[in-house]
Amino acid sequence: MGSLARAYGRPLASAIAGIAVIWVLVLILVPLGAMVEQSLWWRESKGDISLTIDRLYNDISLIELDREVETDPAKKTAFDQSLAEKQAAIATLEAQETNPPKSYGLANFTRMSGLHFYIFVRTIFYALLVTALALVVCYPVAYVVALASGPRKAIILMVALIVPYAINELLRVYAWLMILDYRGVINGVLQWMGFIDLDAREWIPFLENPSAVFLAMIYTYVLFMVFPMVNTLETLDRNQIEAARDLGASTFRIHRRVIIPHAKPGIAVGCIMTFMLSAGSYSVPAIMTRGQGGDWFSQLVYRQFYESNNWNMGSAYAVSLLVVCTAFILLMMRLFGVGLRDIAK
Amino acid sequence: MSTATESAGARLVLNIYIGLFVLYLFLPLAVMSAAAFNSFDYPSVTQWQGFTFKWFVALANDQRLLQGLVNSVLVALGVIAVSIPAGLSGALILTRLGERSGTMLYSVLVSPVLTPGIILGISSLIFWREFGVPGGLFVAVMAQSSFIASYAMLLFLARLQRQDRTLEEAALDLGASHLLVFRRITLPFLAPTCFTAAVVAFLQSFENYNTTVFAIGGEWTLVTEIASRLRFGLSPVINVVGVIFVALTLVAAITYVVLKQKPKT
Repeated sequence: MGSLARAYGRPLASAIAGIAVIWVLVLILVPLGAMVEQSLWWRESKGDISLTIDRLYNDISLIELDREVETDPAKKTAFDQSLAEKQAAIATLEAQETNPPKSYGLANFTRMSGLHFYIFVRTIFYALLVTALALVVCYPVAYVVALASGPRKAIILMVALIVPYAINELLRVYAWLMILDYRGVINGVLQWMGFIDLDAREWIPFLENPSAVFLAMIYTYVLFMVFPMVNTLETLDRNQIEAARDLGASTFRIHRRVIIPHAKPGIAVGCIMTFMLSAGSYSVPAIMTRGQGGDWFSQLVYRQFYESNNWNMGSAYAVSLLVVCTAFILLMMRLFGVGLRDIAK
Repeated sequence: MSTATESAGARLVLNIYIGLFVLYLFLPLAVMSAAAFNSFDYPSVTQWQGFTFKWFVALANDQRLLQGLVNSVLVALGVIAVSIPAGLSGALILTRLGERSGTMLYSVLVSPVLTPGIILGISSLIFWREFGVPGGLFVAVMAQSSFIASYAMLLFLARLQRQDRTLEEAALDLGASHLLVFRRITLPFLAPTCFTAAVVAFLQSFENYNTTVFAIGGEWTLVTEIASRLRFGLSPVINVVGVIFVALTLVAAITYVVLKQKPKT
């Protein structure tokens, strides 16, 4: 902080520090804290409260009837008194009904139903699978772009990869939706070849199969694996490969001992981004399944917020997802021996 | 001599593999683009009923999509206004902090990039509701800025690492005020990065769906509107949007290649 003031002067340094503090607090930490806080409480809405209130109203009506016909003033005041008591009881109960007291605890997390928990686990599993598959598919691509082609070809390849990457995620999903839909491209081709008849609704329902989401997800996020790997591989000195070859190493051994160790930070970043994006993806499952295929966890979160209107439960789901993603990041950092500074390059 | 050490056979296999990969990337986009010109009501390339521009006209008359485009631009401009100063401040502080205290702040400032987008949307939605601000364009700006500012900061950090600090120090020694030094030396040095960061921020914001869908509430951007349309059925109007996106990206990419190759020849 002192060196900042020395470099830019006190007023400017305070302005810079002020903006940064606002960023950290207003945009990052406090919203995160608000979400965690929201996940830790709930309002108990007891069904029997309204029953009790109804019963009290009945009592009041009865007492009022009795009071009408009563002539003894002493008894009349007694009725008045019990009326006042009941009305006070109703007032407190109604306040509780419209604004039930908050209770704090972990119930939002433990109350997750079996089905939802199954979807949670399945989402994580699929996201891991997407990550692993993307890594296998992308490694050769990154290798060729970064090392095994001339500079001119590398630029062209880079652009060939950047163009689909730059096109909106939704449109990339939409392209697959068109291909796999009931009257989509594949079914159209099958009809043209005479295997099925679309007018008789003989289409193959690709979209109702969970692997449709899986396929579109790989397509959507595969490039997030390529670019970090290309970035690290580009810094590898090709002489190292030549040297290894001259010393008699096999291609497999060169990859295992020279190239992959060098690509480690890139692999870690690629895996983290791909996992994070696919585990937290709302766009791909929401569009691909249109409510027909299996759910993705993000869809459950969305429904808690915008359909069930249960923000506490929704926050608990979101926090669970965040915990898994954070754990994955830490695991990858440990596994590949890279620090946060290597990651965000 | 630029190519590595594969045998001819291995190189052939690799080239075929890359070719298939690029085909895999482009074929769906080509199918989507082609269907925009098919006059059939349902976006299709297999049931071709004649070439048409009518879906372009339909898009030009689609008020909700056009309003979504306006909203997207508004949000993106808001994001630029928030995330450029934030990212710049963060980077300036980090370059002056020591290794140890810097790492802590760095982790916090970079964390939004590594957080799933829906989480950022949700936490902003909850936070701003406490102040009585419901989901909408403003909350979308805040939610997107939380991570786009991190990207801007990384760009500024990379630039600042190449800064020659003696220039600033010399100017100070010669009696320039701090403000003058910042305005005449630091900012001009960072100006190209400001531009790059603004472009990146605009694109990131414009494209964003997963964060925005939670933060946007009852309003909509172009992308959230497209998404909600897709849930009810496919329409070639969406393909037209796709064609425009593909065309713009291709033009930008080709310009980039031409510019990049020019100095060498």
